[in-house]
Amino acid sequence: MSKQFFTAVFPLLFLAPLCAQEPLRVAAAADLEPVLPSILVQFEKNTGIHAEATFQSSATLTTQIQNGAPFDVFLSADLGFPKRLIDAGFADAADSGGSNTPITYARGTLVLWARKDSSLPKPSLDLLRDPRLKRLAIANPDRAPYGRAAVAALNGLKLYDTLKPNLVTAENIAQAAQFVDTANADAGLISLTSALTPRLSADGSYFIIPRDLYPPIEQGAVIVSNTKQRDAAHKLLDFLLSPAIQAELAKSGLTPVK
Amino acid sequence: MTAMDWQAFALSLRLATVTTAILLAIAVPLASLIVLGRGRWLAAVEALATLPMVLPPTVLGFFLLVLLGPRTAFGRGISAVLGHPLAFSFDGLVVGSVIYSLPFAVQPLVAGFSSVDTALVDAARLLGAGPVRLVSSVLIPLARRSVLAAIVLSFLHTVGEFGVVLMLGGDIPGATRTLSIVLYDQVESFDYTAAGHTALLLLGLSVLALALIYSKTRNRGAVDRA
Repeated sequence: MSKQFFTAVFPLLFLAPLCAQEPLRVAAAADLEPVLPSILVQFEKNTGIHAEATFQSSATLTTQIQNGAPFDVFLSADLGFPKRLIDAGFADAADSGGSNTPITYARGTLVLWARKDSSLPKPSLDLLRDPRLKRLAIANPDRAPYGRAAVAALNGLKLYDTLKPNLVTAENIAQAAQFVDTANADAGLISLTSALTPRLSADGSYFIIPRDLYPPIEQGAVIVSNTKQRDAAHKLLDFLLSPAIQAELAKSGLTPVK
Repeated sequence: MTAMDWQAFALSLRLATVTTAILLAIAVPLASLIVLGRGRWLAAVEALATLPMVLPPTVLGFFLLVLLGPRTAFGRGISAVLGHPLAFSFDGLVVGSVIYSLPFAVQPLVAGFSSVDTALVDAARLLGAGPVRLVSSVLIPLARRSVLAAIVLSFLHTVGEFGVVLMLGGDIPGATRTLSIVLYDQVESFDYTAAGHTALLLLGLSVLALALIYSKTRNRGAVDRA
């Protein structure tokens, strides 16, 4: 039976992709992972456009788009990466004004997160000053927007030099959260979107870092210039900026821009 | 070449050397057991020893982070013995690398030991050789190239290791920031010139090590044949 089975099924493996309608491909920053999937489901319900998201660090996605990755929309966790793509001619600002700045669709919030069963006090600015804090997880400050914000906040508190030997650097905020959730780090500076996920809100508690301590984490969107689905891409950006979705972003830990 | 690169270079070299030494100490007995032993459970042992190849390295790193962390008795035990937690330390990377590269040490050895003529193994046994003597005086000398392959693959696999180090290491200069992490950081920061230099260093090191080892064995082979 197996030989017939394979001769029947094997060609289908190659045909299947041809039959399906190309989805709208969204390159999304890792901090959107807890938020975006449900928004894309609603988007499909409203418009009939099926969109699929790929989650990576904004830096990785930028490199991929520069090298021809077949994405249609890029939702970054900052403005720098999408701006870099616009300047290099790989993406469009998507607004009618012809400006070269990405559309800000949300602002990120930095929190200090720790496990509930940690032996240290609950997250607060005092926890950052606590000498028992041996390992503090942050995202890579050279490229992860939340990592950059974390270093800015620590500098603002004049704690960066003291805490520098205690910092463990993760590739992105999701990994920084894992360092803390597995109790290998005592606390972590992560995104509110991560802290509000069911897993992390069950395991730990967070403290919102005062916003005047770090430059705003403005999250920018652009349309990839090579897209064949420009209309659908515009619809997705409009949808993201609609009041209902902006309200939903707020519930998930992003600050609405409208 | 920056100071950071050299520091990472030295670290990668140290990690690969330590890992390879430990792997040999584990893999030679393990491969001998698989080849010389009897019993179906040995198939399970061989399967387990090959398994680290299947898991995505970052996932393996994550599991190790959980296993070695303070939330398991195992992790607490180890950090009590060492006096510090394993994650985000050089020792932690060694543990991770040994597990990650285990198949690359065991597989060539099993293949090499299996290809040794069973008549020679039986003869050695009849002459009274115990298992240790059998392995050290018959299997290893006759499967020299496989032992060499195991060393080379373990070493290079550890030098190029990335996912496990990324997850388990925490990118600490001098302790866990290896050359492959530096290289990745450079690429991700769009510093392609620096990345090119680092990659050249990594490739150069590998070619040099390989050429050195292969030239040595070629010579020895020629002497043996003469």
